[in-house]
Amino acid sequence: MVRISEQQIDFILNDISARGVMLESLQLHLLDHICCILEQELQEGDDFYQHYPTVIARFYEHQLSEIEEETNLLLNNKYYYFMKKLMIMSGAFSAAVVSLGIFFKYLHWPGASIMLTVGIGLSSLVFLPLLVTLKIKEQQKAKDKLLIFIGSLSAIMLSLAILFKVMHWPGANIMGVLAPALLLLVFMPINYITGVRQPENRINTMVTSMLIIIGCALFFSLTITPQNFKRIALRNTNTYLRSQQILQHQEALLAYDTAQGSPELQALTADIKKHCESLKQEMLLITTDNTQGPNMVIEDCTIHDFQSNYPAYPQVVDTLARLISKYNNEVAKSPQMHPIAIKYSVVDIAEPKPLDKVLNALNDLTQIEMQLLQNQLVKQHNTATAFTSNQ
Amino acid sequence: MNYSSELIKGTLKTIVLKLLEDNKRMYGYEITQRVKERTNDRIQITEGALYPTLHLLEQEGLVTIDLEYQGKRVRKYYTLSPKGKSTMEQKVNELADFMNTMKFLLDIKPQTI
Repeated sequence: MVRISEQQIDFILNDISARGVMLESLQLHLLDHICCILEQELQEGDDFYQHYPTVIARFYEHQLSEIEEETNLLLNNKYYYFMKKLMIMSGAFSAAVVSLGIFFKYLHWPGASIMLTVGIGLSSLVFLPLLVTLKIKEQQKAKDKLLIFIGSLSAIMLSLAILFKVMHWPGANIMGVLAPALLLLVFMPINYITGVRQPENRINTMVTSMLIIIGCALFFSLTITPQNFKRIALRNTNTYLRSQQILQHQEALLAYDTAQGSPELQALTADIKKHCESLKQEMLLITTDNTQGPNMVIEDCTIHDFQSNYPAYPQVVDTLARLISKYNNEVAKSPQMHPIAIKYSVVDIAEPKPLDKVLNALNDLTQIEMQLLQNQLVKQHNTATAFTSNQ
Repeated sequence: MNYSSELIKGTLKTIVLKLLEDNKRMYGYEITQRVKERTNDRIQITEGALYPTLHLLEQEGLVTIDLEYQGKRVRKYYTLSPKGKSTMEQKVNELADFMNTMKFLLDIKPQTI
């Protein structure tokens, strides 16, 4: 039996990689196998370099790299089926969870938002990416692969944008603009230019482009432009400011501070008013850039956001609610006075609504002060009539 | 007579697993030689089909591997794993069953080799 020398081994190894087999384990397999055959077949005195080509030729039909392709195909195919399975499972699961989440949300049952988050998150981060990977694999042309990638990227972004919007997470708006922009400015032109040239795809391409334009138009018609958003904010701010002005003028007219009545009621009235004013001041400080200027805008801000800047908020509201309930007890003794309505307002501590807007809370507080003033008016009126009847 | 590569391809996994069960520890060249010997050259496994299959068996965890170094040459020895053993039994039974069904389907008279 002939031993294969080190140089001959190097020669074989070089030849194998030159013929396109790059997987190291496959190279080593082939090397050993070829050596075994040669050792078996070579007789003393035979020329290695003459015999080698006949041996290597037995390994393939057209070229040696077929073995590597076949190996990759077998290994990836398994992976491919697993991905397909996972895609179907994640798709079905997220569809079910999202539907259940919507159902819970409509019925105001707990757990709705976690289900929506998990469902939309899973579909945009697992289901859609898997679908894209599999679809890209099926396509032959690089152009089709690119189109599928861009299209799905914008779909993923759009669904994440909606999730972020629903959850009040930052970044929703930018994704909501980028997703249709990608579709309109990148996907559609590439699709149109490449598709319209082929007679068999002409009509399909044109219809796809029209659908994209109409779809994006519908989407954009739902959104509020920044200018309009600013206008709405200005309008709301001015409504608040007018109420505040009316309140202050009326207070001045009625000589609020000199009002009479039971000392408890007087003390409570002053206390509630003080709390309302200071809370309003805090809210304005945080939600506006300049507190009192003529162009003041109260930003779109939730109680939750406000509270993260003003941690004392729960205690303040709690104190205010307790004062109001004491006040309402006092007021009940007098038939002409009205208790302060708290249902669905900022001081309704039985049902706190952290996603309510600060602007609504500001208006609530002004209304509480107006109601205080109203009862003050009843009292003054009574005092006045008592005075005249005494005359 | 040589069998067509389609027929070999569908049964190669079963053949390799069964051989490993009988011989405990084998390397690639040995497997092709053993098949040739046993079938009097009627079945010749091509290297182009064997190595992809061996890689697949390795990835699926049906075989375990140990390496033996001889200078620059590395020989990969394959051994059946417990999972591979149960897969082998299942595959052999399936193939036997399949052959019976084919006999019936194609109406093949019993014949001696």
